[in-house]
Amino acid sequence: MAQLRLPKDSRVNPRGRVHRAAASSASTRTLRIYRFDPESAEGPRVDTFELDVSSCPMVLDALILIKGTLDSTLTFRRSCREGICGSCAMNINGLNRLACTTSMADLGGEIRIYPLPHMPVVKDLVPDLTQFYAQYALVEPWLKTRTPAPPDRERLQSKHEQERIDRPAACILCACCSTACPSYWWNGERFLGPAALLAAYRWIVDTRDEESGERLDQLEDPFRLYRCHTIMNCTDVCPKDLNPAKAIAEIKKMMVTRRY
Amino acid sequence: MSPPETSGAPPRGRPLSPHMSIYRMSRYSLLSSISNRFAGLLLSLGLLLLLYWLISLAEGARAYAGAHAVLSSLPLKVIYALLALAFAYHLAAGVRHLVWDTGHGLSRQQSQRSARWVFAIALLIAAVLIWWALFSGAGAQ
Repeated sequence: MAQLRLPKDSRVNPRGRVHRAAASSASTRTLRIYRFDPESAEGPRVDTFELDVSSCPMVLDALILIKGTLDSTLTFRRSCREGICGSCAMNINGLNRLACTTSMADLGGEIRIYPLPHMPVVKDLVPDLTQFYAQYALVEPWLKTRTPAPPDRERLQSKHEQERIDRPAACILCACCSTACPSYWWNGERFLGPAALLAAYRWIVDTRDEESGERLDQLEDPFRLYRCHTIMNCTDVCPKDLNPAKAIAEIKKMMVTRRY
Repeated sequence: MSPPETSGAPPRGRPLSPHMSIYRMSRYSLLSSISNRFAGLLLSLGLLLLLYWLISLAEGARAYAGAHAVLSSLPLKVIYALLALAFAYHLAAGVRHLVWDTGHGLSRQQSQRSARWVFAIALLIAAVLIWWALFSGAGAQ
């Protein structure tokens, strides 16, 4: 059942520490950032940071500047800073996005930064993605074959066949989509979520894969697949412009058409 | 698949990150979905009025006359208008879901556009229904 309120220990104190800017200028911005320290007795809180962001084109740059100059304990994941690793996925001004590809100039007013929604928080902006990865592993995201590979070459695909998996295979597993999905919020233990289902689709429609039927059997379940109610938040937020909602709709179609 | 980054138990329970309280609930995707659920809920509750009307009908002329007075009062008429809107929205949104189930209209741009269309068409259908109830004689009694 949907638990609309946060559990008691998870409720956020909106008035955390405040780091005021020494001198205010046109390039001073306010960032309000979710903080949680597992080693302190204090519950989650929101800290306020005022800083000159003229050297920060992207939100990730501002986070790095805060960590470097204002509060070295601020914790977040980041790696590639160009939208290909998916580490810095977080909720920025109410939408899930990658901090490294979100422009400061595109955000008006105060910038509110929270970890990905409805996830266990390890520290500050770092969510525990164990379950998310387990769900990805459940769809067995590798090529499964029965026939032996041709001895003299790879298993070939036509250009058209490759194009069918081209986009779904570009998923970076940042978890923006799954953690934007209310169905995933309420049934995350049993509903696989858009990211894992997009991965499942990528292998189901791969013409080299020979276990599409078994893959569909794995998904034919009231929760794993059918908790998707086409809310469209997944496709709305995907930072790679992929379309998990469409992939899920296609899987649902295959569930029906394979019977005839 | 790398193992989870923590092997031992965390120093204390991990809090659940905020969801509904911080997510942009006014987003077209959420708004159109929640409205559809809410409209469905209203319609189910509206069935109670229909039930009340049917029971009074079965109970005989006196009971029916009493129910009729209640059901044709102004507050109830406002509720009928709301139910007309809920019906119109649920219908239009249902058609949108039917189209989605065929695999069409699922891109970000298309679903954004169809969300607006569904709201517009629902208002139009509701306006026609209410106009019909007010001026065709159907609601005259």
